[in-house]
Amino acid sequence: MSVTAASPALNDAHYKAWNVAGYPDVPTDTKVQLFDQIKGDIRFADYLHGCYECGICVAACPSARFYDFSPRRIAQAAAREDVDLIYQQIQEDIWECSQCFSCLRCPRGNNPGGIITIMREVAVRNGLASAKEALVGYSRIIYKIMSTGTQVSPDMLGRDSFPDWGPETADVADNLDLWRRALPPETMHTTSTGWSVAESTLVELYLIWMETGALDMIAEVDRGLHTILLELMEERLEEEGIEP
Amino acid sequence: MSSDTVLVVGGGPGGLRAAQGIADVGHDVVLIEKLDHLGGSPITQRYSGLTPHGELAQPQIQRLIDPVTSSPHAEVRLGTEVVGVAGEPGAFTVTLRGASGTSDETVECGAIIIATGFSHFDPGRSTQMYGYFEFPDVITQPDLEAMLSDHRVLRPSNGQPPERICFVQCVGSRDRQIGNEYCSKVCCAVASKEATELRQLLPDSKVLIFYIDMRMYGYWENEIYWPAQEEHHVQYVKGLITEVLPKGDRLLVRGEDTTMGRPMEVLMDLVVLSVGMEASPGTRELARLAGVKQNKFGFIEAVGAPLDPVSTDRAGIYACGAALGPADLEDTVSSAAGAAMKAVGFLRSRRVAAH
Amino acid sequence: MTIPFEALRRAKSAEGPVTDRRALEDPRAELLELERQGELIVQKIDREAVTVSTKYGREKRIQKSHLWHHKSCGQCGHIPGYSTSIFWLMRKLGYDYHDPHDQTSCTAWNYYASATSNPAAQAAVAVRNFAAAYETGYFPLIHCGTSYGHYKDVREELIRYPELRAQVRAVMAKLGKPLVLPEEIVHYSEWIHALRGEIAAQRVRDVSGIVVSVHPACHYHKIVPGDAIYDPDFYGGQRTAVVTGLAEALGSTVADYSTWFDCCGFGFRHILVQRDFSRSFATLRKIEVMKEEANPDVVLTHDTGCVTTLDKSQFAAKAHGRNVGLPVLSDAQFAALALGAHPYRVCQLHWHSADYRPLLEKMGIDWEKAWAEFQRDLRRLESGEKRYLDWDDAEGVHDKNEPPGSPTGDEHDS
Repeated sequence: MSVTAASPALNDAHYKAWNVAGYPDVPTDTKVQLFDQIKGDIRFADYLHGCYECGICVAACPSARFYDFSPRRIAQAAAREDVDLIYQQIQEDIWECSQCFSCLRCPRGNNPGGIITIMREVAVRNGLASAKEALVGYSRIIYKIMSTGTQVSPDMLGRDSFPDWGPETADVADNLDLWRRALPPETMHTTSTGWSVAESTLVELYLIWMETGALDMIAEVDRGLHTILLELMEERLEEEGIEP
Repeated sequence: MSSDTVLVVGGGPGGLRAAQGIADVGHDVVLIEKLDHLGGSPITQRYSGLTPHGELAQPQIQRLIDPVTSSPHAEVRLGTEVVGVAGEPGAFTVTLRGASGTSDETVECGAIIIATGFSHFDPGRSTQMYGYFEFPDVITQPDLEAMLSDHRVLRPSNGQPPERICFVQCVGSRDRQIGNEYCSKVCCAVASKEATELRQLLPDSKVLIFYIDMRMYGYWENEIYWPAQEEHHVQYVKGLITEVLPKGDRLLVRGEDTTMGRPMEVLMDLVVLSVGMEASPGTRELARLAGVKQNKFGFIEAVGAPLDPVSTDRAGIYACGAALGPADLEDTVSSAAGAAMKAVGFLRSRRVAAH
Repeated sequence: MTIPFEALRRAKSAEGPVTDRRALEDPRAELLELERQGELIVQKIDREAVTVSTKYGREKRIQKSHLWHHKSCGQCGHIPGYSTSIFWLMRKLGYDYHDPHDQTSCTAWNYYASATSNPAAQAAVAVRNFAAAYETGYFPLIHCGTSYGHYKDVREELIRYPELRAQVRAVMAKLGKPLVLPEEIVHYSEWIHALRGEIAAQRVRDVSGIVVSVHPACHYHKIVPGDAIYDPDFYGGQRTAVVTGLAEALGSTVADYSTWFDCCGFGFRHILVQRDFSRSFATLRKIEVMKEEANPDVVLTHDTGCVTTLDKSQFAAKAHGRNVGLPVLSDAQFAALALGAHPYRVCQLHWHSADYRPLLEKMGIDWEKAWAEFQRDLRRLESGEKRYLDWDDAEGVHDKNEPPGSPTGDEHDS
């Protein structure tokens, strides 16, 4: 291609290309299917009524201050059933929400944060690019919560895990075992979990993850993690003689 | 009083216009008013100028009062309220209670017109965080009307004239959470009128109105809205305020500037809440006593609407003005005249039937 | 012209109550109705309880004793002084409780972060915990603001969607547990608010010179907003009363600031893997504003995520020369300190990031001495003399030359 050749047309196709957008464009049918999953969620009808664009949700939203993010646009797109816009949002916007639910101030009774929760579940279940990207580096935490019933365990405060939190965090890491044994509540003498969880409770938890389909949700987002957890849980349940 | 008399309950613009209508066609009317003066909210709350033309409330309402008090067919009873309604259409027996210490009186009438009006929404119940009962400089439209009547608009916190004033629309209206899902109709015009008055009273002030939509029906568009923007430079920002908090000695208000698509925070000296209309306690009580149907918002249900906007579900009992729902002055006097006609027509049809 | 608030308020109440749709919402009544229909079991409050008022006038009852502590994963994991202080306060007031092993996290931190769950799983996790409490007869008390808000949501979904109830009931049946919910979902800060008089009566340290800024947790008062404590004595009933009530009852001064309603910026996912957002928000929208406008000695809040975010976000901001440097404590830790708790044995302040020492000094606490005492405890653990510290150790029972029963051993006069 010579230097003087015309630059590629900066049209719609250009911006929707995977290497420009960061996620693949998909046929309209796929977008419709994704929206149908959102709309078909049991909670959707209670989360979205009409929107008269008062902007109260954006005014109250912490993410709207720091990201190009707008709960109002989420509600509007959903109300218009604009599948193209919704697909863009599910790939670009929904992971910026802080899930604080300040947007529940909506005078129409909408729940934009709730709509986003549904959209996120759909993104995870379908293994969309945004879900995979958002959860990069997060698998450890999913593993922890699903397998032990607590998350953000003491041993997650590794020496170099949170340098931006200050040197005290490193002190914790250096003294972890000792400092945990120095806690008066007898359930908290643990390092790999927040408190010591009864074995029977873990069995119950595994059954819940499997019976409700929560475990299978992560299959498309992190197949490796899913396999590890599935094996772990099936084995444990088998030991108890339980058929999931 | 007799079955040939119409009882009008409520001495506001609606009740006055209804009584005038009835008296004008030669029927007897008794006007009951709970307070010790006539005029309704515009007088009790000391409104300044009234929409649509901004004419001062006092002289304008006086023009509704005079024909009633000077008519030989009309009897006005102040300081009186209805405590019981019995009997049949055409022959109602109504129990009235006067000043404390006096015994109740039972009177007969053939028809009743409910003109018990509205209450302003209590801003302490707003879904958004306006802090009306926390911050002196957060006031309501009626609070501002009283200040404008005095030609003195000062910040309650420090007595200084405000430089930056904003209005927040739809407070207590159009809200599914509160349950007042309706629009209160007049607050957009009233806010624009008050904003215009402020700009004239305080020429150095900056006045903003934060809104969802501007409800400017008919001639309000060109008589109220355009002049507010074009002659008086009132600033209209599409995006409702959700929070008011103190910052220094001013108030910080937060909303979204939806036009620009970004969150917005600005400092204000005075925040005026455009509080909506609700069914007044008097309306609710009279509905209960008279056994007439209320709609789900507590206003009297006009069962024949839209073609018959004044009949209740009980023959011989009519309603007018804001007892039916949000209404401005023009709505009120129109429905009042209509109710008067209906009531008189009812009495005459019974008179004919009786013969 | 002054606006006569009191006269207006009196006039409003004299007019009689207006039917506010929200005043009719009563999740407790709805649960009891479902119980009558045989849809679920409601665990009842069965001990002495304090009545508090919620946002739209519904009265809520807070059981005082015999409570099942639904712990917070984040507190127990990263801010263990928070949980410890809650237990300590309960022991101090003499109320019995149960600290369960058969408890899972509500798992909502993960749910709000990653959405790797669904309504049925979340409801089942909640109900499993409630069933565990029900089996013991102790009434659940929720430690975390997010657990509390999330469980209020779960309750609403179980009330509203019969299909969800059926699904959860089936899962519970497989676990051999009933579908049970408590008649009230109670946050520990509500318990503290309800008992703030009893707590204040045991105060031994003077906090009258302490200025506090309060940060309310979004999930406490923004999810199912009707079910949160509001009290006309605080903020004119316009903002939630918890935390503020406790701070004032202890005698400290609560200073206002212009971003009171703002989220802390926790973000659930953001605080772990996108921390630039959390620390920027916490610093720019909360800490800096508090410092500039309220200039407090301490920030008090009542949720795991809020303590974490506000406490941990200041270090990096300081490196950028931002106006930060405020200690962040839970209401429980502050109350515990005021009642004589040891800053390290009980409040575990060494797990916190923002410097708390000026606050302790202002409260008359010799933190160097306290730290030395704690170090001695650690040496006893290291030497193998003890495996774990216990509540006696927390009271300094084993401190040399100290008579048993003295508050902590590091204070002789208040």
